[in-house]
Amino acid sequence: MVDVEGLRIDLKSSDLATRTSAAEQFSQMGSAATAAAAELVQTCGDDETASQFAVAALEEMGPPPVDSREHLSALLSSPQSLVGYWAATLIGRLKIAAKDCQDNLASVLVSSSNPAVRERAAWALGEIRADSEAAIQALTKASQSSNARLQRLAAASLEQLRA
Amino acid sequence: MVTQARRPDVVRKKKATQSKSRVSIVFWMILTGITGGGLGGHFKPDLPIIGPLVQKLLAWKSSSAPDDATDISDLAEMFRAPATSPGGSVSSIQRPPPGYNAPVQLASSRRPPDKLLIASFNIQVFGESKMAKPEILTLLADVVRQFDVVAIQEVRAKSDDILPRFLAAINADGSRYDFIIGPRLGRTVSTEQYAFVFDTTRVEYNPQQVGTPPDPADRLHREPYVARFRARTQSPAQAFTFWLVNTHTDPDEVSEEVDALADVFRMMQTAAPDEDDVILLGDLNASESQLGRLGQIPGIGWAVSGAMTNTRQNKAYDNLIFMRQATSEYTGRWGVFDLQRAYGLTPEQALMVSDHYPVWAEFLIWESLPPNRMTQAQQPLQR
Repeated sequence: MVDVEGLRIDLKSSDLATRTSAAEQFSQMGSAATAAAAELVQTCGDDETASQFAVAALEEMGPPPVDSREHLSALLSSPQSLVGYWAATLIGRLKIAAKDCQDNLASVLVSSSNPAVRERAAWALGEIRADSEAAIQALTKASQSSNARLQRLAAASLEQLRA
Repeated sequence: MVTQARRPDVVRKKKATQSKSRVSIVFWMILTGITGGGLGGHFKPDLPIIGPLVQKLLAWKSSSAPDDATDISDLAEMFRAPATSPGGSVSSIQRPPPGYNAPVQLASSRRPPDKLLIASFNIQVFGESKMAKPEILTLLADVVRQFDVVAIQEVRAKSDDILPRFLAAINADGSRYDFIIGPRLGRTVSTEQYAFVFDTTRVEYNPQQVGTPPDPADRLHREPYVARFRARTQSPAQAFTFWLVNTHTDPDEVSEEVDALADVFRMMQTAAPDEDDVILLGDLNASESQLGRLGQIPGIGWAVSGAMTNTRQNKAYDNLIFMRQATSEYTGRWGVFDLQRAYGLTPEQALMVSDHYPVWAEFLIWESLPPNRMTQAQQPLQR
């Protein structure tokens, strides 16, 4: 049996090789890697090699555990854009179960300096069926953005919310 | 076709901070890395690849004594040594049970001289880590040698020497493969590259017809990497020519991206007036029933149908897509290269290689119609 808990600890090791090895093993686990969803999102801000394996694990794992949403929500505002991007992505995958993350997502949509993070936040707000005033305002503003992709994603999310 | 020469090591990150106008200005980029070498033929008898000979292969696998071991067994042995899996030792080599009826095709041990085997393979996080594992590198090189052209997805590395080193491993047996590689693409700092690895004794490509098509509406996380190939024959004017469109969709925006790929496909159909064969291949993160507008193009077809293509055998993500009528060179043979069975790996070992299996389809080396199309091409193909 794979020692998932041990690997979660390894992701936080002070030794880069240990962290990289743990991330690589999670990248081979498929949905079983969800147990370390938040830790893997944090690893996206690590050294490039470890980060690559963390991204590979996150791409394949599917939706994270619902109880990871608070941790993920806190990572949305990470100064490392890849961390924020993947936090938004996993929250979006949780769909309506992550609705209580909507205001943090809205905040990121308004204030993140990274376009990819803002775009994923706009996408995620639609996925989680956001309905708060802050979320609707943020999406409405984003739907008028000069960034064509952000504009399209925000408009699509607003459309989802109306449906 | 508008072309722009670029060095193969140029980094092109598709960040939203980039102006999309730059993307549209760069209509076609030439990104070629030309290496190669080695002498001798590339055929390796007795190496199973996918195709209709699955039963023969499985019978052989289950009945072989240790002293019958071939290169494949050697590879399996290599996996035994120092490697450990998340679950501990990976020393037990799993073999298919006798009489097992595989749902996939295994190929013949030789590539037919009058046909091309074109494959797509997502080699998950193909970079330094896999290159540093001799058993994986040897296996990957052997996989490539089963095909005439392999479209690779997920080259992820800082350095630009991954493909040259991989090529050296492929050609170590005297094969004569070469590669071309695209720019680094992605919306974030995590980028990946596409590559084509091809047997230069079997196909050639046109350096003037290689590049990354534009995505003016910015719908794709990674625009496809395209190249035009031609089968090597004694009558080049009658040889099968075709575009390959190498693609990898984002798993969270699949429906939008497969719709966008429909537009890419249609654009490639008119990209060269003398070319009607467009083969879009790669990791679509979508089964044949989830292809959106791409799957609704009148007359379009796909090779892989009703088969799982990931290593866990629970997703049908990879495929080769083309117009059935135009690309009548397709013989109807296709397969999923089950690495676990072909090389006698455990599930954990197979996942160390990739979370995807290669998928392939077979095409005739002769154009079905109309002839002499490549004679109209303005530039000679790479020799």
